Amino acid sequence: MSEVIDNTTTKKPARGKDVQRGIWNAQTIAEVRYKAENGKHRIRGCGATRELPTFDDLIILPGQMTRMTIDTYREKCDTRTVLGKRHATKPLVLETPIMIAGMSYGALSREAKIAMAKATAMTGTVISNGEGGLLPEERENSYRQSIQILPSRLGFSRRSLEAADMLEYLVGIGAKPGLSGHLMGAKITEEVAAMRQLPVGIDLHSHPRHGDAFGADDLMVKMDQLRELTNGETPIFIKIAAARVRDDVKIAVKTGVDGIILDGMQGGTGAAPVMASENLGIPTMPALVQAVKTLEEMGVKDEVSLIISGGIRDGADMAKALAIGADAVAIGTGAMVAMGCSVCLNCQAGRCAAGIGTQDPEQRKNLIIDEAAERVANYIRGMTAEAMLLAKAAGKTKLKNLEREDLRSLTLESCAMTGIPLVGSNYTFGTPFGFC
Amino acid sequence: MEFVDAKTLSGKDLNVILKDRLGKGLDVTVKNSHSMHNIGTGMKEKGKIVVDGSTGFYTGGFLEGPSIEVLGDAGWYAGDNMMSGELIIRKNAGCNAGSYLYDGTIVIYGGTGNRPGYGMKGGTLLICGDAGGWAGQMTLGGRLIILGKVAAGLGESIYKGVIYVKDREAESKLGSNCFVDDLTGEEITSLNDLFGKYGVDQEAAELRAVRPMTTGRHNYVLFDPQLEPEKARKYNPFQG
Repeated sequence: MSEVIDNTTTKKPARGKDVQRGIWNAQTIAEVRYKAENGKHRIRGCGATRELPTFDDLIILPGQMTRMTIDTYREKCDTRTVLGKRHATKPLVLETPIMIAGMSYGALSREAKIAMAKATAMTGTVISNGEGGLLPEERENSYRQSIQILPSRLGFSRRSLEAADMLEYLVGIGAKPGLSGHLMGAKITEEVAAMRQLPVGIDLHSHPRHGDAFGADDLMVKMDQLRELTNGETPIFIKIAAARVRDDVKIAVKTGVDGIILDGMQGGTGAAPVMASENLGIPTMPALVQAVKTLEEMGVKDEVSLIISGGIRDGADMAKALAIGADAVAIGTGAMVAMGCSVCLNCQAGRCAAGIGTQDPEQRKNLIIDEAAERVANYIRGMTAEAMLLAKAAGKTKLKNLEREDLRSLTLESCAMTGIPLVGSNYTFGTPFGFC
Repeated sequence: MEFVDAKTLSGKDLNVILKDRLGKGLDVTVKNSHSMHNIGTGMKEKGKIVVDGSTGFYTGGFLEGPSIEVLGDAGWYAGDNMMSGELIIRKNAGCNAGSYLYDGTIVIYGGTGNRPGYGMKGGTLLICGDAGGWAGQMTLGGRLIILGKVAAGLGESIYKGVIYVKDREAESKLGSNCFVDDLTGEEITSLNDLFGKYGVDQEAAELRAVRPMTTGRHNYVLFDPQLEPEKARKYNPFQG
């Protein structure tokens, strides 16, 4: 018998489409349809979008009776940071422990790269070039320049080493660990192609592994080579994605690096398979905890610099990361948002109205370099001020004096993950992290 | 010619001595090299270094000027990231010889392991013997010449540049995204000049060229998995 609708009321019967569909949400359905139509996985910009543990799950304890607070507006809190002094004779000295992470010219426009480089000169920090070579204008405008040594070596030569204030031997990135770089054809213009020695307009899936170091033993010899080439002056970091953090950090330290850049799962990218971003690696916060523990176990925490990246947004993230044990943070997406990025997740298409993730000459005009540089510099200043505010409230006159004792976990999950006691108690579920 | 006994030296110390000697306009022969790593790293001085023995990893890495001749074998990554100059290996070289070669010339009179010329961007890598698998993988420029047998994966995902091969079976060993082609007259002349310069008894006209395609893997399509129901139907789960 068919359902009879009562026309005397406005009440409608419940239908299937009105019911929550559990795991079959709009995103799942869109992904199934994409595969059904194209027979391949989707490539997307920006990295993971799923819910992951973040630094929001921690709070900072302010000083009250146990320690004096520092005046937010009248007293100083030192932010100067030295990185890479383990072996290098010219370690990096930065005014604030915020690095601009490696984002390539190609994924980003020339204007965006120059603007971010200028921002580092305004704030006294460092920018990484990313894959695909170094724009001369980036080097000319940056305060300090980090050069990535990537498996592809696109646009890389000995001249790149000579331009570096810091080197990053890149093993992986958080947005697509275990995968090589992607740059889709829309962005491989004549200019980008010339710099990378690529055919114009191809979809690039770059080299998956370093062709001159197959494994950690070889890398130890490679480090000697790089030291010799840089006269022992330039700090050498290794950049790894968060995976088997404990083992990876131990091996990295033994290769003889000055520091480690650890990129968590929330790290961004210009293009990556959605599957990779959403399912590979581990989130930034627990990765950082594991890395710090490992460095402490090895007795090298004070000599090996640790930079954490992957979803760092503000001064609170930075302060909490420093309290856990990072020496600095790296920002990527945040710097792009400061320039006007709306995180539309469509970087791979190369159609960026903000003029950031595009090579289109018309769209690039939308990014005014000096304005964008000022905005990124303001963002870095603002983040630094936020972290200082929190540190001073916790009674610190130096950002680097933030410590784990200043933190508490808000959730059972973050407590178990970090070993930092749960708020309202001094209990830790799981392995305590340094104190209890 | 100066002689340096490397018996008690580290690679770094040896390189300091070599730079000093070359800087003074002296050619040097290294004795007792005991397969030392990083010999000649990044040297910019002009002149000639002869290693009377074998070398370890990264011989002549980032080299930018001199000529290094290894009379024995060379370990992995010989001539990696080389910028200019000359690296001559009289016997065999390990895997990944000439990886990321930028410019200059590497001549290996024997054979090599896998992946010679990985990601090379320019210059010349001449292998007179056999080469292992994946030769010239993801090459971005330059020329790789293999006069002996080649193995599977030849020229995989080559972007630019060219690989010259003598092996008549090379076509069946190609990686993806490349094809076998004839040499131009200009290429034949240039290669014959190269062979003459290094005393290699080879006629360039006997070679074939492996060149990149600009389609295929360079477009975002999936090549794997290739699902083949017919093969599954015939598969014996007990015998494999």
